Amino acid sequence: MTDIADKEVIDLDDMDVEAFNEFATEQGWSDGMPLFVPTEAKVAKFVETVRGDNRPYAPVPPRQIIPTVQALAANAVMAGCKAEYFPVVTAALRGVLDPEYNLHGTLATTHSCAPMVMVSGPIRKELNINCGTNCFGQGWQANATIGRALGLMLLNVAGAKPGEMDRSTQGNPAKFTFCFGENEEENPWTPYHVQRGFAPTDSVVTVMSGEGPHNLNDHGSTTGDGLLTTFGAGMANPGANTVYGKGPMFVVIGPEHAATLKRDGFTLDSIRQELWRRSRIHLSRLSKENLKTYETTGHKPDGDWLTIGRSPDDIHITVAGGPGKHSAFIPSFGGTTVSCTRIAR
Amino acid sequence: MVATETFKPLVLAQAKARKVEPRLIVVKHPVGGLNAEELRERIEAATKGLTEATSK
Amino acid sequence: MRIFNPTFGLSATSAEKVSLKPVNWQTDAIALMSNSKPNARELLEGIRGKLSAHRQVENIKFMAKNSASQPAPKELIQDIAKNYRAAILALGD
Repeated sequence: MTDIADKEVIDLDDMDVEAFNEFATEQGWSDGMPLFVPTEAKVAKFVETVRGDNRPYAPVPPRQIIPTVQALAANAVMAGCKAEYFPVVTAALRGVLDPEYNLHGTLATTHSCAPMVMVSGPIRKELNINCGTNCFGQGWQANATIGRALGLMLLNVAGAKPGEMDRSTQGNPAKFTFCFGENEEENPWTPYHVQRGFAPTDSVVTVMSGEGPHNLNDHGSTTGDGLLTTFGAGMANPGANTVYGKGPMFVVIGPEHAATLKRDGFTLDSIRQELWRRSRIHLSRLSKENLKTYETTGHKPDGDWLTIGRSPDDIHITVAGGPGKHSAFIPSFGGTTVSCTRIAR
Repeated sequence: MVATETFKPLVLAQAKARKVEPRLIVVKHPVGGLNAEELRERIEAATKGLTEATSK
Repeated sequence: MRIFNPTFGLSATSAEKVSLKPVNWQTDAIALMSNSKPNARELLEGIRGKLSAHRQVENIKFMAKNSASQPAPKELIQDIAKNYRAAILALGD
């Protein structure tokens, strides 16, 4: 007899949504919130949106399964995506399958990291992806379900079952969903995907295994210099994985902070340089035991200071959010990368 | 491989995905964060486990 | 009703068995491989110290990857496979 896990298509008695959710939960397919039913008809509609993208998928660790497009679509359906979101979700999956992203490590770790998904380019508007007010929060179907679909793929395809292959000590609400759009319209510099060599007309998904956003609140500073002092101090966090000096981080600048920095002549590069210097952690704020570990794993202090990341290039900068005096710092897992994938259309 | 009892399921799940059979020495959890005195018990247990595993 | 299985895929790993060479734990060269989790190195040092009571330990060497969060470099794995008959890995914690 074939186990249900080995079947691509499963025959079920007709059942309502509640009964399906009970069944799905028993199978271990759920993130704890209600799921939509991945019927053949719905899955076919989703698959149609990626018909032109014939690139194979790499085996998905830790389970080492090569997924079918139908299985991926089933997860996007269950997450509540619209069919037109599916190419964004598959691009995000390709991003986390970049070997440098270290999917296995990011899923099995005790760290709280979740896959951050950032969308750039024209598709943001076409899909109504929130790039402005409350962009990290609730209220937008695209943001909520694209991030959730990737999370379900990592559960069901990658096998990152909490308590088994997902060993996060405390987890993180961003593991339910963590998707936002760049606010390119209020970015006084260059949109992130263009910084990475894509055309402004390209639609691109960027992924990084990150902690949830750490708020950088600064209502008082009236200069770019003042803002960078606050940002740097907020980033100098001995409890974030960036302290290991092994990987990237994002600084997502709110549009009002960005305008002040631009007015005062700061460029993306000068912001990076300043934050690199101002985010260093003084050794007095590190335990002796931790410092010994960092030193023996190749991350040595510079005088009395420990840098976060490996170089200023580890600080990735974009603009997102709406009115207000807030920005955000998103430290990564550490042993990971920021991976960009053009959305096949 | 030395693993704590708490992380044994992770090791087994990953080994299963790779279709390999790990040879495990299981000690009490945790190991990280223990001081030298506390660690001594884990060293004793791991060495005992190793001796048993390698004398079969 | 018929639904698509969200877990379905093709296995990328083969079930081929790798034949291991026999190890003489009293004399063979052994790698003690730390994944740099806290206390992994200390645990391996302790094991090596205990082993010294009943075997020579000059050919028991410490190896480490420099990040607990990243895979071991291929070169390191190849080095261990080439120069050691067995490896003790620490730490799943």
